[in-house]
Amino acid sequence: MKILAIETSCDDTCAAVLENAKIISNVISSQTDLYKEWGGVVPNIAKQAHKERIDLVIDKALRGDLADIDVIAVTQGPGLAVALGVGIDKAKELAKKYSKKLVAVNHIEGHIMSSFFDHEIKFPALCLTASGGHTKLILINKIGDYKIVGETLDDASGEALDKAAKMMGLGYPGGPIIERLAKGGNEKILELPKVLRDNKILDFSFSGIKTSFYYKIKDLPKAEIAQNIKDYAACFQNSVFEQLCRKFKLAIEKYQPKMLLASGGVMCNLELRKRLRNLAKEMNLPINMPYKKELNTDNAAMIGLAAYYKAMRGEFVEDIEKLERDARMKL
Amino acid sequence: MFDVEKIINILKSGGLVVMPSDTVYILAVDATNKLAVEKLLKFKNRWVGKAISVAVCNIDMASLYADINDIEQNIYSSLLPGPFTLISKGKHKVAKGIEAEDGSLGIRIPDNKLIQKVIEKLGKPISATSANLSGRRPHYSVESFLKTLSVTKRNMIDLIVDEGKLVRNKPSTVIDIRESEMKILRRGELIAKNAKSFISKSERETQKIAGLVFKKIEKPIILGLSGDLGTGKTIFSKEIGKLMGVKEKIVSPTFNIYNDYGDFLHMDLYRINNQLEIDEIKFFEIISGKKIVCIEWIENLGKENIDKLKKISNLKIITFNYIDETTREIKL
Repeated sequence: MKILAIETSCDDTCAAVLENAKIISNVISSQTDLYKEWGGVVPNIAKQAHKERIDLVIDKALRGDLADIDVIAVTQGPGLAVALGVGIDKAKELAKKYSKKLVAVNHIEGHIMSSFFDHEIKFPALCLTASGGHTKLILINKIGDYKIVGETLDDASGEALDKAAKMMGLGYPGGPIIERLAKGGNEKILELPKVLRDNKILDFSFSGIKTSFYYKIKDLPKAEIAQNIKDYAACFQNSVFEQLCRKFKLAIEKYQPKMLLASGGVMCNLELRKRLRNLAKEMNLPINMPYKKELNTDNAAMIGLAAYYKAMRGEFVEDIEKLERDARMKL
Repeated sequence: MFDVEKIINILKSGGLVVMPSDTVYILAVDATNKLAVEKLLKFKNRWVGKAISVAVCNIDMASLYADINDIEQNIYSSLLPGPFTLISKGKHKVAKGIEAEDGSLGIRIPDNKLIQKVIEKLGKPISATSANLSGRRPHYSVESFLKTLSVTKRNMIDLIVDEGKLVRNKPSTVIDIRESEMKILRRGELIAKNAKSFISKSERETQKIAGLVFKKIEKPIILGLSGDLGTGKTIFSKEIGKLMGVKEKIVSPTFNIYNDYGDFLHMDLYRINNQLEIDEIKFFEIISGKKIVCIEWIENLGKENIDKLKKISNLKIITFNYIDETTREIKL
């Protein structure tokens, strides 16, 4: 089965081709070589940007024509409504034009799937997915059977890192910049609150850390922030990761999974990967994380893999005309 | 449900009723009935001259018993119903012992349907003093209150409306509004600096302020929330959504720009930088047809768009200011 997958739930315009569960191509518009073709200026959230890029991205992913594609897959939600709409419209257009079957995929299921590539998964598995838009703990009994056991009550973890970077006058996205700066920084320089201490709560909260951090550095002279920036970055990052690992561990103890999974843009962070590997070792469990950056951040390959399993179960969109975006789609 | 008729009959005949309010359990008597008020004072061991506040059901009723000028009227409509007792100039139409020696009258409009209904049907204000003996702590359950009473005192109570344990809200904040500058006489549940400005000391207080705002909403409205990071805009919006009946978790919409919950739309313009992006998200389209829209970082819309919004909708800007680590000022 050959699948063309399209993902436009947020900033990145993505397309991928899979042969069954194997990635043939995985194209993301924010990759540097593609930037050049648009002259470098890419608005973050504009629908127009997706519209301008989607055909080119799909062409790059296909490397040929659509004839030998069996199934078209697209992210239905959750995400930014107008952005989702671009991908869905394109998928509908292609499915009709070439008479292909269409599969609608939940973006979060995609993130779960991104840790499935080239690995055998043992069930039940417990997945931590953390990105700019989501932070969730998901119990996976089998493919297609998911239960959210914890999630953020306010900001997503990646969003918190982005906002902290902005507070320190750093760029966007802030996660990678903070990671670079945090290396070797003193994690104890600021005292940030340890939130949601109740061991029964598996949910996350990052807005309190963000607020505390902001008002601790807000009135400091710029020179002082610059001088201690490594320490501040380390301190904030530590506070976010401490909570991610703490809640993950609680969920592991409660649900006793046979395998751990972690995915989402925040998993690009090597310090977090290290901590999660240590946690897995401590719990005596195997852990799977997407092996490269492009599978952690938003991508269409993960949507393609989710679609592969859905297609195997015969879960196609019945009436293509009626498929609509679902900005707050539930898993 | 509690028998409103029964409560009214007892109040009419000069009886003393223990009943729940939006803050603590209160001791209610007909505030215009001389004998009933005497009984209340005796029960509380309170000397005449130390005032007892009254509960009314609306501002019209308040103005029958107190002199309320236009400025004060504004304060009333902004703070009540809510956890406030406003001190006004009394018209001496209540029984002796209710007004203070200087002729002032403390007035509440409790945010409690039962009490409002009772007062409305009674057509008179009732005493709204907390159910305790003078100098003691207020009570959140009838049981704990009764334990503090002698048999004689217990026999003075004609009816107990027991609603079980109340949420531990603090007593009302007492504010003297007779001078141009409001004076806080007792700090309680919420602190108001003036008719349009509140002080929040916690997430919970920010939620309470959201509750106060929500109660005043009568027609579709856009709440534009302006203020720095971490000043409580999201907490405020979440509470409004919750009061609108949104059952699911309301989380930060920063990443998705907006989350649509049917009648309620929660938007965050933190990531919006220019007109192109405002057009791209179809701003004016998505906010239409909603009952309540909360827009965080409304300032990112720019002046022109805000002016346009003002023209086409019922826009209310609320600003959130950081005072110190645990204090925020919320201006309506």
